[in-house]
Amino acid sequence: MSGPKTSWMPRAGAWLAVAAGGLAGTELRYVLGLVFPELPGSIPWTTLSINVAGSFILAALTTVWMARPRTPFWLRAGLGPGLLGSFTTFSAVVFSLDQLVREGEHGVWTAYLGLSVVLGLAAAGLGWRTGKLVGRPTGSRQ
Amino acid sequence: MIAAALVGIFGVAGALLRFGIDSWFAHHSSRQTVRAGNHGAGTPVRLHWPWATLLVNVAGCFIIGAAHGLTVGLGLGAEWQAALATGLAGGLTTFSSWTTATVRLLSEERLGSAAVNVAANLVLGLAAAAAGIALVSAV
Repeated sequence: MSGPKTSWMPRAGAWLAVAAGGLAGTELRYVLGLVFPELPGSIPWTTLSINVAGSFILAALTTVWMARPRTPFWLRAGLGPGLLGSFTTFSAVVFSLDQLVREGEHGVWTAYLGLSVVLGLAAAGLGWRTGKLVGRPTGSRQ
Repeated sequence: MIAAALVGIFGVAGALLRFGIDSWFAHHSSRQTVRAGNHGAGTPVRLHWPWATLLVNVAGCFIIGAAHGLTVGLGLGAEWQAALATGLAGGLTTFSSWTTATVRLLSEERLGSAAVNVAANLVLGLAAAAAGIALVSAV
């Protein structure tokens, strides 16, 4: 991203953007969990929806930014690792799987695992392609 | 609401930690140019693999497991459980980077790497969560 001789440490602006995005993403996920509580022994639909939506948006932004490399680094850091990285969560998925296995809810954990992987990857794949279309420079025929 | 404030503070800490780890790996992996035989004779190819995401996801799974163990075993308050599980573990781990990195590997026709990325995060994450629960429960 920056020059070859710079430190691996990003600049203060990027850290600030990640903090702001991280705060917004975490609180949004927290509030959605309060508004749409997840019931024990059933598929955590709130987390699943958050992760699928976040996968689509991050993948789309990734290919848009590949096509537009001059997008400021702090903006990419704030929206990508900051907002979407914090909005989506992997640990909650794994913890729910662990609990569902322990409760003997084999149909539920299998479905949740399958839905998370298939829908998450499908959303990211769709986002990847969408971002390529959106990020395409105007006037280009490719 | 104290829980919302704690979740926010711990979520920011998790996000910053993840960003730091991500940046460190991005810098150090970019120096490892590997000669890959199937990309033409001796052409150095950057073989990126999402190590940083695997590391933060496994660490976060351990934290969410330990938070559960602390709540059940030591009566940790609900607001602190939310701070550790929803805030720290939730902010540290990421689902979207995991899926996006997998799609990127697929787009480069690195099917094996993509499959390993999916499996490694899940298997090591489940093991870490179970370890976090067991470790704290044993205390």
